[in-house]
Amino acid sequence: MVKPENVQSSVLHDLAGYAPDSDNALMKKVREQSLTHLNGSQFPTRKHEDWQYTDLKPITRTEFFPFNEAGIQPAINVEKYFIPESDRSRLVFINGEYQEKYSSIGGLGNGVTVGNLSDHIDESAVEEFLNELVDYDNDPFVHYNGLMFGDGVYIHLEKGSKAEAPIHVLNLYTDSEKAYIATPRMLVIAEEESDVTIIEDHIGLSDNTYMTIPVCEIKVEKGAHIHHARIQRDSLSAIHVSRPIAYVEKNSEYHAYTITLGGKLTRNEPKVIQEDEEVDFTLDGLVLIDGEQVADTHSTMDHRFSHAESHQLHKVVVNGNAHSIFNGKIFVRKDAQKIDSFQENRNLLLSRDGLVNTKPQLEIFADDVLCSHGATIGQLDPEEVFYLQSRGMTEQKAKEVLTYAFALETIENIKVDSVHQLLIDEVYRYTKANNVAKVTA
Amino acid sequence: MLEIKDLHVEVEGEGTEILKGVNLSIGKGEIHAIMGPNGSGKSTLSKVVAGHPEYEVTKGDILYNGESILDLDPDERAHAGIFLAFQYPVEVPGVTNNTLLRESYNTIAASRGREELDPLEFEDYIKDKLELVEMNPEFLNRSVNAGFSGGEKKRNEIFQMAVLKPQLSFLDETDSGLDIDALKTVAEAINKLHGSEDSVVLVTHYQRLLNYIEPDFVHVMIGGVVAKSGGKDLALKLEDQGYEWLNAYGTVNGEG
Repeated sequence: MVKPENVQSSVLHDLAGYAPDSDNALMKKVREQSLTHLNGSQFPTRKHEDWQYTDLKPITRTEFFPFNEAGIQPAINVEKYFIPESDRSRLVFINGEYQEKYSSIGGLGNGVTVGNLSDHIDESAVEEFLNELVDYDNDPFVHYNGLMFGDGVYIHLEKGSKAEAPIHVLNLYTDSEKAYIATPRMLVIAEEESDVTIIEDHIGLSDNTYMTIPVCEIKVEKGAHIHHARIQRDSLSAIHVSRPIAYVEKNSEYHAYTITLGGKLTRNEPKVIQEDEEVDFTLDGLVLIDGEQVADTHSTMDHRFSHAESHQLHKVVVNGNAHSIFNGKIFVRKDAQKIDSFQENRNLLLSRDGLVNTKPQLEIFADDVLCSHGATIGQLDPEEVFYLQSRGMTEQKAKEVLTYAFALETIENIKVDSVHQLLIDEVYRYTKANNVAKVTA
Repeated sequence: MLEIKDLHVEVEGEGTEILKGVNLSIGKGEIHAIMGPNGSGKSTLSKVVAGHPEYEVTKGDILYNGESILDLDPDERAHAGIFLAFQYPVEVPGVTNNTLLRESYNTIAASRGREELDPLEFEDYIKDKLELVEMNPEFLNRSVNAGFSGGEKKRNEIFQMAVLKPQLSFLDETDSGLDIDALKTVAEAINKLHGSEDSVVLVTHYQRLLNYIEPDFVHVMIGGVVAKSGGKDLALKLEDQGYEWLNAYGTVNGEG
């Protein structure tokens, strides 16, 4: 095993020795690249500007074990998490490992290839793009994933094809005696004028401690459309560190909606990189946290060419001792004119002890652009509560309704009905379960 | 029906007295108009009757049907049949008018011994209420007041009044923000809704609403007290002469 050079060892470096072997030349290359990068990447501390608000103790104070030593329990009630729209377009992974018996991939129509990445490793698109789209310098998480993953999601749409049903990527994490680290992987290539909706689920089946590091590479070619919902319902002891990156070509659209409900520590770093003119992209988020949860979003929207429309609405509800961090980078490069970019981070603080750090970060080098941004942190408006009370609602009900209404806006855009309904129920459960009135009174 | 006795009110935690001994009596089936210049306390009075938590009653009492309501929460007052049409109706994005109204109607119905309505029954029930205020049924599926014009918001308040059938309605500056046609529509709706069993209090800055709704009594508030009460002629005199001649009545406590 190669030891890290010039960097302090960390759990990720320590477990690198358990990387699986592969006979495949591409996989060998990916692992070699990843190991080299991992060994050159320092595990973050709060001295790094991008991590200054994020308490990493849930990772550094946990002892993680390789899978075969972690006492992994079998998955239970897997079917419970299926969605009817994706009856024949579903990929299931348990702790990152592909589950053929639960998956069903027959219903997507011509030109759409969906399956386990390791079964498609010889395809030219995989060779061209796998691990080539990641762009996270000095980030040990992304390179750890590159070193460890075996299975993964492969979605490929040929020119002009349309996925006839939403593709459901169901990542389940099972109970275990000791903490483990899963490394889900996705590669999505949407060729010219193709269209696909992806529902990416992360669900903890118990309340155990584990870490998942999903890495997702997405290529949206000329005129293609991708609608990507990411729903995180990890165990409340889990750590979720995600790295989804999308490259958008001319006339393409990429719309991502990340819903964060679970996890003790979540760190999402979505990136969208513009590769040509006339694109439209979205990076919306909804975070509902309570107790000791920490949810951190560091996003990047990189406008490199003229004529782009981009939109980011990041809504957060914080209760208990929970802590939300938002850092939204918007880059507009020198020649990227006529950019219309909107960013808003709205935080609803329900408790005295909740904490919100928010930092819009706009770096604009072009002069003919329209970039609006805003960040608000507030409590429920007493006038709104009074208005609803004067119409007969109890104070508690009024506060529930207003919290629910605050959160609802983000999920309105998720166009798969059962997922939309599921999220409405989750939002409702959050507002009910937290007994909103009691903590805000 | 409503008996306000020597009511003194402060903004909670600020110690500034806004109402300085209001006395007012409203009988069943009556229409009252409360007029007065800006800052006279007339809007505060409406909010205090509805139970706004921002205000603290330091002295006096409000009796509704013979019982003090000072200890009741705003929702309990709504259940008892008190309604406030807001001067500035609040926008509630994410909650449709239909959801709010049915929820309100049913909670109030339950506490006032009326039958609760299921969604279909409710749809029937509100149809003619919509016509009454000339509101497009599409309003029902829109979020409460979100993106409504000032006039639409006011109309929506009267629509809610029509649906909820209160016993005592305080209409706080409902006429402001309405153009003349909308004013007529709203005034006609209020006239139709008003019956011998319920009372209406029009809180207004101007006399023009009273051209369409004839009050039984007119009160003028100045400096946190009711400075003068009279019949509808009083409103005409105010229109003609302004409020200045009344200032002497409002300085009983040594303030303007």
